[in-house]
Amino acid sequence: MLIATRQLVKHFPLKGTGAFGNPLMLKAVDGVNIQVREGEIVGVVGESGSGKTTLGRLVLGLLKPTSGQVFFDIPDDVLQEYDDYVANNDLKKAADIEKEYSIFNKRGNSQKEIRKKTNIVFQDPYSSLDPRLNVLDIITEPITSTGYLRSNEAVKRCFELLDEVGLPRDFAYRYPHELSGGQKQRVALARGIATLPKFLVLDEPTSALDVSVQAQVLALLRRIRTSHNIGMILITHNIAVISYMADQVNVMYAGKIVETGPKKDVILSPIYPYNVALISAVPGKMVKGTKIILKGDTPNLVEPPPGCSFHPRCPVSFNMCGWTAAEVASDLKYLIENKYADMFKAETVVSTNANGNVVIKNANMSQILSLLNLEKEKTRSLAAIDRSSESEEGIELWLWLHRTPEMYQYSDRLVSCFLYAPRDGKSSPQPVNSAD
Amino acid sequence: MSEAEVRAKRWENTKLSLSVFFANKAAVVGLVIVMIYVVIGVIDEVYPPLIGITSAGTLVPNFFNPAPSPPSLAHLFGTTYPGVDLFSSIIKAIRIDLAYSLLVVAIGAAVGSVIGVISATVGGLMDEIVMRITDIFFSIPYLVLALAVGFILGRNLLNMSLALAIVWWPLYARYTRSQTLSTKEFTFVEAAKASGVSRLKIMFKHILPNTLPPVFIQVSLDLGSIMVIFSTLAFIGFITNASIPELGYLTSLGLSYVQTAPWAVIFPGVAITLFALAVNLMGDGLRDVIDPRRRS
Amino acid sequence: MDYTLKVSDLKVQFYTRRGIYKALNGVDLSLMQGEIFGVAGESGCGKTTMGLTIIGLLPVNAAVTEGKVIFLDERDLIAPLRKGNTEETDKFNLRQREAVTKQVNKELADVRGSRISMVFQDPMTSLNPVLQVGFQIAETVITHQPRSLAERKLARSRATQDDTQAIVELLKEGADEQAISRYAESKGLRGIETQVLNVWRRNDLGETKKEKIILSLHSEKLGSFERIVLESVEKGKGKPGWMKIPGISRAARGVLLREGYTKAVELLSMLEVPNPDKVVRMYPHELSGGMRQRIVIAIALANNPDLVILDEPTSALDVTVQAQILELTRHLKHRFNTSFIFISHDLSVLSEVCDRIGIMYAGRIVEIAPTDVIFNNPIHPYTQMLMKAIPRIEGYEIQGVGGTVPDMRNVPRGCAFNPRCPDATEECRIKKPEMVEVEEGHFVAC
Repeated sequence: MLIATRQLVKHFPLKGTGAFGNPLMLKAVDGVNIQVREGEIVGVVGESGSGKTTLGRLVLGLLKPTSGQVFFDIPDDVLQEYDDYVANNDLKKAADIEKEYSIFNKRGNSQKEIRKKTNIVFQDPYSSLDPRLNVLDIITEPITSTGYLRSNEAVKRCFELLDEVGLPRDFAYRYPHELSGGQKQRVALARGIATLPKFLVLDEPTSALDVSVQAQVLALLRRIRTSHNIGMILITHNIAVISYMADQVNVMYAGKIVETGPKKDVILSPIYPYNVALISAVPGKMVKGTKIILKGDTPNLVEPPPGCSFHPRCPVSFNMCGWTAAEVASDLKYLIENKYADMFKAETVVSTNANGNVVIKNANMSQILSLLNLEKEKTRSLAAIDRSSESEEGIELWLWLHRTPEMYQYSDRLVSCFLYAPRDGKSSPQPVNSAD
Repeated sequence: MSEAEVRAKRWENTKLSLSVFFANKAAVVGLVIVMIYVVIGVIDEVYPPLIGITSAGTLVPNFFNPAPSPPSLAHLFGTTYPGVDLFSSIIKAIRIDLAYSLLVVAIGAAVGSVIGVISATVGGLMDEIVMRITDIFFSIPYLVLALAVGFILGRNLLNMSLALAIVWWPLYARYTRSQTLSTKEFTFVEAAKASGVSRLKIMFKHILPNTLPPVFIQVSLDLGSIMVIFSTLAFIGFITNASIPELGYLTSLGLSYVQTAPWAVIFPGVAITLFALAVNLMGDGLRDVIDPRRRS
Repeated sequence: MDYTLKVSDLKVQFYTRRGIYKALNGVDLSLMQGEIFGVAGESGCGKTTMGLTIIGLLPVNAAVTEGKVIFLDERDLIAPLRKGNTEETDKFNLRQREAVTKQVNKELADVRGSRISMVFQDPMTSLNPVLQVGFQIAETVITHQPRSLAERKLARSRATQDDTQAIVELLKEGADEQAISRYAESKGLRGIETQVLNVWRRNDLGETKKEKIILSLHSEKLGSFERIVLESVEKGKGKPGWMKIPGISRAARGVLLREGYTKAVELLSMLEVPNPDKVVRMYPHELSGGMRQRIVIAIALANNPDLVILDEPTSALDVTVQAQILELTRHLKHRFNTSFIFISHDLSVLSEVCDRIGIMYAGRIVEIAPTDVIFNNPIHPYTQMLMKAIPRIEGYEIQGVGGTVPDMRNVPRGCAFNPRCPDATEECRIKKPEMVEVEEGHFVAC
């Protein structure tokens, strides 16, 4: 495996403190396992706030993770051993493997080796090239800094690279401001492959380019991948680009990977609800199927929704997905006061209690039950209600306990959704008070 | 674009910058005046007799006729106490003032910039400490600080310059620090890191050259301010040597005669102010050139 | 068919130290009422400049050298711009150009913001960060149609309980907008029909609740100051002298502002913003990108304009949010009878909402056709190459367009696309092609 991450986590501290005086953390990346084989293009798709940019930096060691590992050039059997050691809590043996293959603890020459074999191409061609350096200096920088070649040979290599990316050789003496956007991006690409790396991260490489230029750059990338057998992680929000370029696709949401698998599965027949909506939202009449318009906005990464982070917006969420009493109560309140205002008295009050359940005062059971019946398709939070009981305080609605989904196997891919969880005891829902 | 086209484009750019500068009439005037000063200073340094200066580095008193006399053919700007010809003295003083002001700005800018860049790149605790140190320096009035240093080290021109440089570096540190903080965010810095460039090299190869251009502008502007401050210090009597040609000192010489012989104060004073004004005007023009929002 | 806008042979140039940029080189287009017209093109083709010219927001160093923009068959919007650009004027003289701009602003003041409005790309910079969003919406109504605000409030205060009950009866019987307006007019309650209909059309409330709200729209109490202010605004004879006194004018504006906020809430609920009464008091930075763009759209629609120009409104938004906004635009088209010009570089986005699309290249429109036709049967070589360059999900080999966009200071002679066109002939290099109608509604310049 060229690149393999294990439980990669990156939390950014924010100013200010949250409840209980803990410092606020932005959970940008929250437990990501991603793998890239040699010569493979792995796509990472997500919207803003999904954590994909942070992931790109972590995978190269440009950012230090809060926890987790990134392995480079690790044989498959060693990787399997590592997973076994971790599963069996055999931390010492795991640490040995980490010492050898992790990219984070390297210093000096071994660090240079890694830098020689990896590189990155950024999104914005305007700020990724130093305006004070000419093209020759920009491209030869990785060559000389890692000691890949000596300086006179580096110059020769620079010209070879210019040929490869389709730029005339005399561009070597130009400065970035004398190049167009597409040309700048080609220079960035030449720099990226200067040391013939085995692994390249491409962070939105064509988002700043016009469509016609984008086509040329993408074609170039494919050629380079084939001729040099470079493994790539391609990060973008553009589904069509991923569809054109990637072999494997990972979809990220709120810092986690929610669906991963071969492109034809993940893009052409998505199953994770967010993914389904995402693919259907791609504009263009070419996309078959009805559009699913999601409500709400991208999640708050400081306090992500519990359980499955997508549950507040998921059109098919159900009891285990992470509904809290507060969410159910606020949805009920809204319904009672507006859409079903005719059914209920003005004195009806909805609140939560210490048990983590919802309490409704001044209403009767049949009203509530009929509301639940009418709304249960449209308002998903109501699916979290297990049963009800009545007392002097009012009607108490008992909720299911929510859980956090893991990655479940579904034919060729992995999905982080309870809909695809195996039907065993471990992942079926449990009510709040299992004693009852 | 071919090579020839690129060269042509670069020349076009240079012409454009020049035309923007020269469109600002005030800036051109400023530039001319500054150039005159510089030329005077250089000639006085290299070949004083060209403009009729003998005994370049000192004032020549005339104890036979110590009272200040008004401008005349013999003494173009008149004389000041004690019988010192103002015209030649001002010329001598310009050289001294320019040289030492340049020294102050050079030391202050060099030291301050490096500290600022390192502080911003390293960040964390070191950055905090450096900021608090600059705060301390800012809170002390510069005259007081300069005087204090002078009394410790000895009151001569060189030490005066050192004192001012000590006062001046925090400004540059702050300035380059904020420039660095924004430059640091450019992705070419991350790209360099990913390409294996060491942190030190990134600082000096990528960050510093991109933060310096605005610093250069600031340096040229500061030349005027420093000259004024320098003269102020000399004016209040920092130097002990009574025959150093220095604009502020010359002004102080005529102070007691301001009622009867105003020229003794006006000429040296104007020499200082004119320079500061010219530098400011020139800086305005420079800012027009550097500011990307050049209007048509 | 009514034309909202007719642009003929529009030529716009920018004067800079580096030379004269010919941004628009003869643009022709006709916009019909109630349609969404998409303008597609890559960077530098002039689509944004065209949008800015129509609304008169060109920078000082721009000049319209030729052409007409006829709005609603009535007036030429760029006449003041052209008047300031005769042969004698020195195009590089800054002061003269500023005088031209001032003149344009004066003459277009009654049109801009009320009958033509514009939505820009980045919602964060289109909104004032220190003002509540409700204020920003209310402000545009107060500036252009204060009378409508006065009418609304006065209608509510003059309506009696019987009136509202009668209206509810009419609604239950299925009366349409005209019937309600007629009723309102007859009772001197002009201004109540929009309020009533906006409530009735909401789909997040139960019918009883809607009835209750409408039934409550009567006999609203007005303070005596309020009444005086509103009635004088209603009469519409400008501000009476006493209202111009600083303190009093502030208070008078406050009266209108309160009603403006109410209207803002209505607008937002029409745009499917949840909790509009809370949102109206929030600041732009407290809202997400999609919400902010909705606010900007609300501001653009607040005065029921005849034309809205949208310049890359979804380019800064995520795909799912973009889908929300595009869906919204489709709904709006049916609700209001406004025409839209939708500018974007993304043809797939345009294919979602537009009725017709125009492709721009180097300052000219090279092809216009209904959306399906453009995608299924592109004729102009540039359009064809553009189609082939767009990556699609089903995946096929994409091809770029060779060469680069021309320097707008030296537009190629003849057809601007000829250096890059694989089918270019000698004629293409000499003559500029005219727009020809190739089939019904499909125009090409080749």
